[in-house]
Amino acid sequence: MATTLSGPLPGVHTPPTRTRRERGALGSAAKVAVMVVAAFLTLGPVVWTLFTALTPLEAGTGERSFGLGAFADVFVQVDMWLLVWNSALVTGLCAAGQMITAAMAGYVFAKMEFRGKGLLFGLVLATMMVPMQVTIVPVFLLIRGMGLADTLLALIIPAIPTAFGTFLMRQYFLGLPHELGEAAALDGAGPFRTFFSIFAPLAAPGLAIVGILAFNYHWNEFFRPLIMLISEQNFTVPLGLVTLQGNLGTGSVATVLAGVVLSMIPALVVFILGNKPLREGLTAGSNK
Amino acid sequence: MTAVVAPTPAAAEAPKSAPTAVPRADRRATTWLTWLFLAPTLLGLGLFTMVPIVGSILLAFFRWDIISDPQFVGFANFAELATDPTVRVSFLNTFGFVVIAVTLQLAVALFLAVLVQSRMPAWLRTFFRSAFFFPLILSAASVSLVMAYLFNAEFGLVNQVLAAINLPEVGWLTTDAGAITVVILVYVWQNFGFTFLLFVGGLASIPRDVYEASSIDGATGWKQFRAITLPLLSPTVLVASVMAIISALQIFDQPYVLTRGGPGDATRTAVMVIFESAFQQLEFGRASAIGIVLTLIIIGVTALQFRLSRRFVFYS
Amino acid sequence: MDLSRRAVLGLAGLGAVGTALSVPRLLATDIPGRGDDVLTVAILGNAQDAAARAGLVAAFNELHPDIGVRIMPIQGQDWSNFFAKILTLVAAGTPPDVVVVATEGAQLFADRLAHPLDEYVKRDAADLQDYFDDVNPSLIESFMYEGSLYQLPIDFNAANVYYNTSALEVAGLERPADGWTHEDFLGYAREMGRANTGSFLPFFWTNRLWGGVVPWLYINDTSFLAETTAPGGEWLWDSFYPGETGRSGGYRWLEPNADDPKVFESFDYLRTIVAEGLGSSPAQGGGGELVARFAQGQIGMTPAGGFWVDGLAEGGMTPADYDVTYFPQWKGQRHQFGAAGYAMMSTSERKDEAWEWIKFCTTREGMRLAFPSPNTTPVRRSMCNDAFYSEKGPAHWQVFYDTLDNLPSGPIPAPPQQAAVETALIKNVVGAVTAGSDGGVRSALGTLQRDLALALRRSS
Repeated sequence: MATTLSGPLPGVHTPPTRTRRERGALGSAAKVAVMVVAAFLTLGPVVWTLFTALTPLEAGTGERSFGLGAFADVFVQVDMWLLVWNSALVTGLCAAGQMITAAMAGYVFAKMEFRGKGLLFGLVLATMMVPMQVTIVPVFLLIRGMGLADTLLALIIPAIPTAFGTFLMRQYFLGLPHELGEAAALDGAGPFRTFFSIFAPLAAPGLAIVGILAFNYHWNEFFRPLIMLISEQNFTVPLGLVTLQGNLGTGSVATVLAGVVLSMIPALVVFILGNKPLREGLTAGSNK
Repeated sequence: MTAVVAPTPAAAEAPKSAPTAVPRADRRATTWLTWLFLAPTLLGLGLFTMVPIVGSILLAFFRWDIISDPQFVGFANFAELATDPTVRVSFLNTFGFVVIAVTLQLAVALFLAVLVQSRMPAWLRTFFRSAFFFPLILSAASVSLVMAYLFNAEFGLVNQVLAAINLPEVGWLTTDAGAITVVILVYVWQNFGFTFLLFVGGLASIPRDVYEASSIDGATGWKQFRAITLPLLSPTVLVASVMAIISALQIFDQPYVLTRGGPGDATRTAVMVIFESAFQQLEFGRASAIGIVLTLIIIGVTALQFRLSRRFVFYS
Repeated sequence: MDLSRRAVLGLAGLGAVGTALSVPRLLATDIPGRGDDVLTVAILGNAQDAAARAGLVAAFNELHPDIGVRIMPIQGQDWSNFFAKILTLVAAGTPPDVVVVATEGAQLFADRLAHPLDEYVKRDAADLQDYFDDVNPSLIESFMYEGSLYQLPIDFNAANVYYNTSALEVAGLERPADGWTHEDFLGYAREMGRANTGSFLPFFWTNRLWGGVVPWLYINDTSFLAETTAPGGEWLWDSFYPGETGRSGGYRWLEPNADDPKVFESFDYLRTIVAEGLGSSPAQGGGGELVARFAQGQIGMTPAGGFWVDGLAEGGMTPADYDVTYFPQWKGQRHQFGAAGYAMMSTSERKDEAWEWIKFCTTREGMRLAFPSPNTTPVRRSMCNDAFYSEKGPAHWQVFYDTLDNLPSGPIPAPPQQAAVETALIKNVVGAVTAGSDGGVRSALGTLQRDLALALRRSS
């Protein structure tokens, strides 16, 4: 950990033996080397997955050969388009719903004063500590009571209120200067207009983070769909991938991995689009 | 702008009092807005989290298999937990896992976050940041599936590589130590990226001139890290560790796909036992009882962290 | 990230329209047959498996044009997963009328969910005589529970030994005799290991209830649960199997039996196989590319049943490349099997229609339509014939049914608490067979005994 600090800083009184510049260059090279190894370890399994999916075992010969056969196989074995549509509906509506409700609640917790605020916010945060497995059976019974058992709405409706998103948005609104609201009020804007025309647009990067995290979570979600969905027509992508494994795990490895690769694509697209707001949002302090 | 997640000094000290002299109509509108905006979140969390928790607590006093009528059994479910070796082992496993995995996750994330601050071309920095974050966009279930192939004792790539460089092959998923190692590695592999991003954000919000001042005083390297970086980063470390611990206490996907809790009970976690009791053995009351104990533990640990944080966390 | 207001509104509008168009999908009202007043038959499988039964449904409807049938495929990685889904359906208030149930869940269903078939069987005895004449009584007995019959089996799989012919020939070995012993098996494994190189494994096995340690316990005349039988059932045996003696009203697995010295013997034998590198250290769950590995000749022997024939053919194996034989004998040569059949749900409001379906599926026509190719073994002796196996093999396909007719056999142990029992077994097997010494095996079996006692004490 002795090499953790960043390169030479102006005015540093370095000990002798080596010149500052030499030490800095050497240190940087070592640091980059360490990070290259770390990047290899994080990306390696992904590359292996892609490679294996592209080189399925040939029936009979036992040879591996390059080709898209495994990907074609995915579409033969499961209705990939339906899976994607279902996942897109669940993920899109969860993300949109979370962005809206989190923006509203986060704004109130950041900018409004009312009795019981601390207690309510504490309660909201406390719900984050309850494992989902603990509440899933009562939630299932509630969903049944609403007549929504084995529908996509069973996944969407309970997921829209979000404690974590509310927390994120509160933090974000706290960072916006209070004077903006005061200025708007002086201009004669009511509280609703102040929110919609001043604060909400400024909070767009924060909303993007909530949306991206929601997308990522619900696109990959496994446990709730496993419990809540029964009909195959309602399955989301992760459940479809399990189908590829076959009964007692007899499916082809290449086909399973091709499914994994396909399921990665939308998350990857969102990741690339969202990389910038995500990084800026989470590292924003730097531009102060 | 201030960091979103880490409560930086600016955020913590944001003015709390509303501006004075607000017209009466606006005050009424403000009240309206307050409750209207809170309603979806409060009602939603109330209906889909609070009510189910109460339901779960009630359920813990019954024996119920979903099909037959529930049977009131008092504290019998809780009493059985105390004597059930599987439950005891699974909780111990979970604690051990949390300690090792969270320490590793925070250490790796902090180490890399500090490294990535060093001087390098912008594209390289972006590449590293993206690479470290990448595993987060995958689903835990499919990652575990991929890792199960990689760590397969007979045909897996990891053992083939070990054999190629003349190291002994390891029974990754068939020995206790191997299976625990794999579960921890796979979990940390997938989750350190988020902590990493939090730390990058926290580090970036430490003003440059603090370092410069200390350099003039002769502090460098490790000393500077101890004296400046860690204290100024401590609010971020608190948030990161609270989040990491809460989610590690609920670990399920990785051992479920990789080992099904085995070999023996070596990788059986608390949430796995909840799942097995409820959805395989149809003992919903027992599952609820375990779940409530786990929830209480999570709340206790989190409260303890915030308590300790008063001593260790440094707000400028 | 400066999305203009117009772009945001446009996107929101697009999303709203898309959502509005998807309302039937969100509410699942677009699933055909959902909520219809038809006979719902739940099967373990996916949409393709359901489609494969279209012929069966059509043939049934020719006979019963007034009974609408909906096949409802239910996904599950294994049986316990499938049963959890059925329970979810019951809990959701939409239980199916008929469910395919395997041995693993037979007693759980009989205990809590299924309706006994006794009255129907007695009523239609004349129609069913042909079926019972064609089916080995062991299969029927495995679906008796406390004197009542809950299912009519339609397919089964006994654990036999598959071997790769060339792996055998390379080692200069002949096909083993039907009565080979467990010592012979060890010799075969050693010879194969010596003669084949690379990542070759003489014996590959998977740690699960069916085909895991159980075959080795059964051939040694023991089991990890004490097996007793229930009285009753004469109503069936006397009328359909006159002359058959010693049949019961079903099995009972009430006590753990892991402390039996013979159980230790079998586990210690498996420990030797693993320690010598002759057998895989048992993997949990599925075998990954087992078919491919076996087809490539990287695996010498593995336990499997008739269900594997189709998969091996798809994997490129010809009947000459592999063959099947019995498990070796030890103190006995009792074989384990798992079977499956349709159970009638006690909540069903269409029990008479359900019975017609169950009965139809036991006819020759129903079975021919249900099992067009050998991906399982039909329970009717007359259907395990040359025509069924002519293209795909193996040469000694008679082994599949002769296992029932010529050797003692019994179902895998599956009391109503099967899921807990299986968990207890699976989790202690690895520790026992990878133990460094016989002391390690003993202590692992001690834990198994304790866990099984706990599992059996629960619920029921």
